[in-house]
Amino acid sequence: MIEFQLDETSGVATYLQLVQQVHQALRMGMLEPGDQLPTAQQVVAKLAINPNTVHKAYRELEREGLARARPGLGTFITRSLSGIDAATQARFLSAMTDWLRSARSAGLGPDDIEAIYRTAFRTCFAEGVA
Amino acid sequence: MMTAAIEARGLGKQYRRTWALRDCTLAIPEGHVVGLVGPNGAGKTTLLRLATGALTATRGTISVLGEPPAVSPAQLARVGFVAQDTPVYARMRVADHLRLGAWLNPGWDDELAQRRIAQVGLDPKQRAGSLSGGQRAQLALTLALAKRPVLLLLDEPVASLDPLARREFLRSLMEAVAEHGTSVVLSSHLVTDLERVCDYLVVLVASQVRIAGEVSELLASHHRLAGPRRGPGTLPAGQDVIEESHTDKQSTLLVRTDEPIHDPAWTVTPVSMEELVLAYMNPANDIPARRPRLGVAS
Amino acid sequence: MIRVTWLQFRAQAFTALAAMAAFAILLAATGPHLASLYAASGLSGCHVDSCQSLAGSFTAEVQSTYTALYVVSVGIILLAPAVIGLFWGAPLIARELETGTSDVAWNQSVTRRSWLAVKLTVGGLTAMAVTEGLSLMQAWWAAPFGRAVSDGAPQGPLSQGRFTELIFATHGITPLGYAAFAFALGVTAGALIRRTLPAMAVTLAVFIALQIAMPLWIRPHFAPADRTVIATAGGFEAGGATGPGGDTLTLVATSLPGQPEAWILSSGPVNAAGQPVSTTPAACDAPSIAGSPDFYGCLTSQGIREAIRYQPASRYWPFQWIETGLYLALALALAGYCFRWINRRRA
Repeated sequence: MIEFQLDETSGVATYLQLVQQVHQALRMGMLEPGDQLPTAQQVVAKLAINPNTVHKAYRELEREGLARARPGLGTFITRSLSGIDAATQARFLSAMTDWLRSARSAGLGPDDIEAIYRTAFRTCFAEGVA
Repeated sequence: MMTAAIEARGLGKQYRRTWALRDCTLAIPEGHVVGLVGPNGAGKTTLLRLATGALTATRGTISVLGEPPAVSPAQLARVGFVAQDTPVYARMRVADHLRLGAWLNPGWDDELAQRRIAQVGLDPKQRAGSLSGGQRAQLALTLALAKRPVLLLLDEPVASLDPLARREFLRSLMEAVAEHGTSVVLSSHLVTDLERVCDYLVVLVASQVRIAGEVSELLASHHRLAGPRRGPGTLPAGQDVIEESHTDKQSTLLVRTDEPIHDPAWTVTPVSMEELVLAYMNPANDIPARRPRLGVAS
Repeated sequence: MIRVTWLQFRAQAFTALAAMAAFAILLAATGPHLASLYAASGLSGCHVDSCQSLAGSFTAEVQSTYTALYVVSVGIILLAPAVIGLFWGAPLIARELETGTSDVAWNQSVTRRSWLAVKLTVGGLTAMAVTEGLSLMQAWWAAPFGRAVSDGAPQGPLSQGRFTELIFATHGITPLGYAAFAFALGVTAGALIRRTLPAMAVTLAVFIALQIAMPLWIRPHFAPADRTVIATAGGFEAGGATGPGGDTLTLVATSLPGQPEAWILSSGPVNAAGQPVSTTPAACDAPSIAGSPDFYGCLTSQGIREAIRYQPASRYWPFQWIETGLYLALALALAGYCFRWINRRRA
């Protein structure tokens, strides 16, 4: 679970700092869709800040579509920063895994697979982003 | 409309010849952690003690959670108070303090009290007089929290604590707010700690309220303007100058406004809570009267 | 609230209990011996004529051993209300205000009036019980002395009538009144002065002042005094001093014949016409007869008699009730004031 920090000297409002740290964690892959954000109580116990600040940060994340509060359960990340939601991400991950498995059983090694991937990637993105 | 935690109208308290508090009109909402800021002698303690019923008003009215202060045992149960320097009974043991709380408060949550004492590391058999300042403050806080008040008033509880004890106290307080949704009014003459914990602010200077409001609204409605030297009279109406300073070439203003600043000559930057409070606390600054606005006291 | 009062009152209660126990042990160690001395003196069931001399010899016998203890025990009862007023009454409110713990006490779910009501009741009743307890213990122990007085023993430190100032104040029900008053006085002083030590000083001063004023100026007027004139005979304290006009004559009656337990308010020699006499008549002013029974015979022949103002012994209990009632009324008035004070909220 992500651990928040507070920089008192930065001049940035506390709730915004929390929002930015969630963005950063998503970018770095430390947070993924489906992960639970710490409860207000947990954040307060660590940082000694007003719990309303945590609620405000989480509401902002909800507004951005990045998280959703599930009553009684907690607040959870709903999608990655790139805009792909968990379900879609899972679908492609599953398809990719199947392809890799069939490639392996066909006798392709890691270098072969990588070469095929790079060629396809260059072709696809050279055509312009969809 | 939700009951105000504390509502004051024209509240004043006079001692012989001096007014400790004057013309105080406030509507502090529930569900917030309210910072009551001001220099020493500004009237913060007076306001809090009027709210607990320790003092009676000379003029005006005050109601706490919709009722007059200390009007009944039920009302007393809903309001907790921690006085300045967090007094405790020096010759009584920690455990006896909890017994006192349990016997005098029907709403006493003993599980919470015991848990907090253990969490803070207090020895129940120790006499309160031999506790450190930070431990005493935690004991006083436990006494006030374990009766499960709706509103908790604290008079400069951390002023004489070292930084670590101060942080621990505020942490405990915020944990209680997170757990029980207690409304808190916390007075202090130190601004830095308040930024972490307060979402509503009241600035008291020389017995009068200078500004009161939600922190987010206050920060949104105040801006720092920097630009070439000119007088504040050039600002459009509705933009009040709180503080100004000029060099021969440049002017810097702290402005309160709800309107956007259109003049391109000004560089507009946001104001931090500390800057805002200091500007309002500065007696040299003439605070222009605020136009009445719904829900915010002037 | 009663439990909390006990929590804060524990130490003081145990001190009082220990003091009472020590007092009891002291008296119990000597009481039986004293009682046996009384039994051996033959005073119980004595024949009216012989009673007086038997009583006199009894008191003379016990005087050397028991005077000190007697005086101390009476002193303890006299002081007890003052000590209670100082150490239980004065700190009750003052200490809470001084240390700031009033902010703890009065911000629980109990109103200030309830808080005060319970504290006053528990403290006041305990004060009354302790003081009266000490008095009763001492009365049991000193019973032989009292009986000797009513049998006609001459006045002395051990044989003071129950109506005399010291004994009136330490026996009967007056200790109840004093204790309640001293306690209430202490609490009030503490509330007004807000600091324990000055409140203790004021409590002590006011209490002592009233305890001195009461027997001197107030108690004598509970009922109009009776007057009588008797022949000068034995049983007087005679005094005299040499002056320009001759020796001054002072005769103080120490007991009233036939009413050993009356309270003598004032006495002095008067002439046949009833006017006060202050100089020894020349005829009796001879060193040879001074202090002897002939002296009194000489005075009588000159027509000089002793006039006595007194309260009869039968008024002892009515006076006890009046005085106790007065002190209790004062205590209640002070308590009532404290209730108004605590609600006025200027702290």
